[in-house]
Amino acid sequence: MTARTESIRRSLNRMLLIASGAGLVLISAGFLAYEFFSFRQSSLEQLQTLSRAIGSNCAAALAFENPEDAASVLSALKADPQIVAATLYDVHGRAFAAYPQGQPAAQFRARGAHAGFEFGRLGLTAYQPVTDGAKPLGMLFVRSDLTSMYGRLGIYTVLMAVGISVSLALAYFMSSILQRRLLRSIERLAETARAVSERQDYTVRAEPTAVEELAPFTQTFNQMLAQIQGSEGKLREQLGRLSLLQSITRATAERQDLASMFQVVLVSLEKDLPIDFGCFLQYEAGARELTVSGLGSAGQALVARLGLSERGVVPVDADGLSQCIAGHLVYEPDVTAVPFPFPQRLAQAGLRSLVIAPLIVEKQVFGALVATRLQAEAFSSGECEFLRQLSEHVALASHQSRLYGALQQAYDDLRQTQQTVLQQERLRALGQMASGIAHDINNAISPVSLYTESLLEREPNLSERARGYLGTIQRAIEDVARTVSRMREFYREREAQLTLERVELNRAIRQAAELTRPRWSDLPQQRGLMIDLKLDLTETLPEIMGAENEIRDALTNLIFNAVDAMPGGGTLSLRTFKVGVAETGERSVLEVRDTGIGMDEETRRRCLEPFYTTKGERGTGLGLAMVYGMAARHSAELEIESMVGRGTAVRVSFPAMSGSLVSNVSAPDAPRGPARCLRILLVDDDPLLIQSLRDTLQEEGHEITVTPGGQAGIEAFTAAHAGLEPFDVVVTDLGMPYIDGRKVAAAVKALAPATPVILLTGWGQRMIASQERPAHVDRVLSKPPRLSELRASLSELVA
Amino acid sequence: MALVLLLCGAMSDTPSEYQVKAVFVYNFSHFVEWPSRSFPVANAPFAIGIVGADPFGTRLEEAIRGERINDHPLVLRRFQDASGIEDCQILFIDRSQAKRLDEILASLDHRSVLTVSELDGAAERGVMIQFAMKENRIRLRINPQSARAAGLVISSQLLRLADIVNSSVER
Repeated sequence: MTARTESIRRSLNRMLLIASGAGLVLISAGFLAYEFFSFRQSSLEQLQTLSRAIGSNCAAALAFENPEDAASVLSALKADPQIVAATLYDVHGRAFAAYPQGQPAAQFRARGAHAGFEFGRLGLTAYQPVTDGAKPLGMLFVRSDLTSMYGRLGIYTVLMAVGISVSLALAYFMSSILQRRLLRSIERLAETARAVSERQDYTVRAEPTAVEELAPFTQTFNQMLAQIQGSEGKLREQLGRLSLLQSITRATAERQDLASMFQVVLVSLEKDLPIDFGCFLQYEAGARELTVSGLGSAGQALVARLGLSERGVVPVDADGLSQCIAGHLVYEPDVTAVPFPFPQRLAQAGLRSLVIAPLIVEKQVFGALVATRLQAEAFSSGECEFLRQLSEHVALASHQSRLYGALQQAYDDLRQTQQTVLQQERLRALGQMASGIAHDINNAISPVSLYTESLLEREPNLSERARGYLGTIQRAIEDVARTVSRMREFYREREAQLTLERVELNRAIRQAAELTRPRWSDLPQQRGLMIDLKLDLTETLPEIMGAENEIRDALTNLIFNAVDAMPGGGTLSLRTFKVGVAETGERSVLEVRDTGIGMDEETRRRCLEPFYTTKGERGTGLGLAMVYGMAARHSAELEIESMVGRGTAVRVSFPAMSGSLVSNVSAPDAPRGPARCLRILLVDDDPLLIQSLRDTLQEEGHEITVTPGGQAGIEAFTAAHAGLEPFDVVVTDLGMPYIDGRKVAAAVKALAPATPVILLTGWGQRMIASQERPAHVDRVLSKPPRLSELRASLSELVA
Repeated sequence: MALVLLLCGAMSDTPSEYQVKAVFVYNFSHFVEWPSRSFPVANAPFAIGIVGADPFGTRLEEAIRGERINDHPLVLRRFQDASGIEDCQILFIDRSQAKRLDEILASLDHRSVLTVSELDGAAERGVMIQFAMKENRIRLRINPQSARAAGLVISSQLLRLADIVNSSVER
C-alpha cells in the first residue's frame, strides 16, 4: 500500500492525455519543422531561380552599361511581394541598379564570384553572378523577406495548438466514455467485493463484463466467491451441528437415566438436524438381537408403520447392524437396495437413507443410534461424522449415567445403613441405660416385694390397716415392676421364656380391635366424635410364628396411637395382606392406618425411641418402642409412613412361618411350695436382697446358707459337697464382682451336675442377648423375684 | 589578366569612348548567334575585323586578348578595303568608309557578318548595329532586318537595350 492512492480513471486520463498530447506535439513540431524547412527551401529555390533569371536578364544591361534597363529588369521583382530588396553590382563592385526604385540601394556584403545564399537577420539573401558566357559582368543580390513564412508558421502553430487542444479534448471525452465502460466493470467488481466484505454476503456475484481482460478476473472472482460461499456454508453447517452437539450434550448431562437421555437426544435430532426418524437400540455383548430402547417422537406414524415398539427386538443380520456391532458407523444411502430385514422394514415405512452409529464404551458396543430420512442419499459426510461424534457423546454420557446411578445407589445404601446403624446404636445405648436402671430398680425393690409378699402370706395376725398398707405397697411394687418390665420390653430381643406359636394375624387384629373398642368407639362418641373402623383382612394370609400376646399388645398400642392422632375423628383402617412369593419368602403384613394429624420428619425419625412422646403427661413414650421390640423379636420389619395432616400408617411385616414349631408352653401357676425342706445356697453380693431372700425362703421352710460373693459361694458349695449335707439347689445372682453367677454355676455343675442352679438377674436381657441361656444354668429368674416364681422353680427343678 | 588590368586602368580614370566601344564590340559576340556555317572549321578563329582606320588603337586588341568565344579563339583583323572582309564574324566599319559603306555592305552579300559602325544613319543604310551618342552616353541602334537577312540572331536583351531601326532603302 502506497500512502497515496490515485484513481485509475485519473491515471488513465493523464496517461492518455500525456501520450496523445506528446504525439500531437511531436507531429506538429515535425510538421512545423518540415514546413519551415520546406518553405525555406522553396523560398530559396524560388529566390535563386528568380535571381538567376533577373541576373541573366541584366547581363546585357551590365554588358552595355544600361542601368535604366537593369532597373527596369529589377522592377520585375515587384511581382513577388516577398522580395524586399535587390541590388545589382557591376564588375567593379559599384551599385549598378537597385530595387525598389527610388530608394537608396540596399547594401550587401561583397561575396565571391559564385552564386549562393545566406539566411540572415533581415531575411534570405541570394547572390548571383551575372556573366556573358564565361565573363563576369557583375553580381546581383536579392533579399527575400521571411516574415510571411514566419507568419504562416505562426498560423500553423496556432492552428495546430487549436487542433491539439481539440484532439486532446476529444481524446479525453472518448477515453472517458471508454473508461467509463472499463471502469464500470471494475467498479462493479469493487462494489461486489465491498458487499462481500461489509455484509459478509457471499451470495452476490460480480456481473459479467464485456471487457476482455476483466472477464477472467470476474470469473475467477466469482469462482472464489462461490468457493467462499461453499466453505462458509459448510462452516455454518458445522457450527450448527457443533451447537446442536453442545445443546444435546448439555441436555444429556442434565439427565441421569438412559431413557430420558435417549429421548432428549432423539427429540433434538428430529427437530434440529433434522432427521425423519431416529431410535436407539441397546445391545448385550454376544447377543444376536438388539433391543429398542428409545423411539423418536416426531415420526409416530412412521413408528406405527415400522412396527417398532419400546423394548421391541431387532434381530442382527449380516447387514449394517452387524457392522455397527463391530464398532463401525454404517451409512446406507438407499435402504431399498439392502436385502436384509431391518433395512427392508425401514424401506417399507417409506424411509430411504439410514445411518447407524455405534455406542461404544470402553471398546464395547452397547447400543446403536439409528437415524433415517425419507430421501435417499440424504446424509452428507459431515452429518455422518456428526452422528458418529454424537453417538460417542451419548455413549459416554450413558456410561457416566450408569456410573452415577451405581454411585447414587451405593451412596443411598450407605446412608440407609448408616441411619440404621445410628438408630440401632442409639436404641442400644438407650437399652443399656434402661437395662441398668431396671437392674438397679429390680434389685432395690426385690426385698420390698419379697417381704411384703411374705408378710401378707405368713402373718395372719396383721391388723386390717397393716394388711391394707402392705397390699398398697405390694401393688405399688407391682406397678414399679410392671413399668420396669415394660421398659425391658423395649430392649429385650427375645427372652428365653418367649415361646413361639402359630399366630393368626387376622384373629389377633380382631381381638385387638375388640379389646380397644372403648378407646376408638365409646370414648370418642361421648365427646361427639366419630371414628370409623375399617377392617380389610386378607383371609388367605400365611400364618406366622410368634407370640400372640405380644403382637396383640403391639396392635393395641398402635390402635391407641392412631386414635390419639385423630382428636377430631376420622378413619382407622386395619389391614392384613400378603407380599412376596413362596420362593423368595412370603411375608404377612399388618397395617394400622389413621387419617390423623400425622408426624413431621423429626417425630417420624425419633418415634421409636423409648420415652419419646408427643402426648405429654398422657404418654409413656414406650408404646412404639415396645412395638419396635416386638417386631425385632419376631424378625419382622417395621415401616412407618406418615405425612403431616394426612395421617400415619404403620406396617409390620412378618416372615411367613418357616416350619419350626415350639409348642405353646404357658407357665402354669406354681404349686404352693415344695413338699420337702431343701438345702439352698444363696450367692449374692447385695446384702439387702440376700437378706430378704433368706428370710422369705426360710419362712418357706428351707435351709438357707448365704454367701456374699461368688468365690465364697463356690467354696461353701465345695465344702458342703465334700461333707455330709450337700446343697440341693444353688440360687445365685448373675452380676457380681470377680466371680459372677455364670462361673458359680459352672463350678457347681463341675462338682455336681445334677444340682440345679437358678440364676437371678436384674440384667436379664443383656445376658440373654449374648447367649441364649447360660451354660450350667437351669433357670433364669428376673429381679425382683416373685415368691411364687421361686416356689414354682424350686418345686419343678427339685421334683 | 587583361581584364583585371583593364579594370584597374578603368578604375584609375574614366574609360574613354573607344575603350567602352571596344568592350561593346567584344560583348556583341556574346549577345549574337552566328550560324555554324560561318565557321569553316570547328575551331576556326572568331575574327573581329576593322575596315578603314582603327579608332580603337590597342584597346580592342587589349579587350579581346586571350578571350575565346566558345571554341573559337578571338582574332583581330584589319582591312583597308572590302576585300576579305567576308571572313570576319564582326566587322567594324570605321567612319572613314562612309562613302564605301554601301559597297562594303553589298560585298558582304548576306554573309553572316555582324556589321557595326559609328556612322550616323548607318543602321538605316543597312548596318546591323550602330553606335550613337545620346545624352553623353553610347547608345545602340540596331537594324534587325539586316541581321536576320545575314542569318544572325541578336539576343532580345540586346535588342531591348537598343533603338530598333529599319532599313530606309530596300535592296
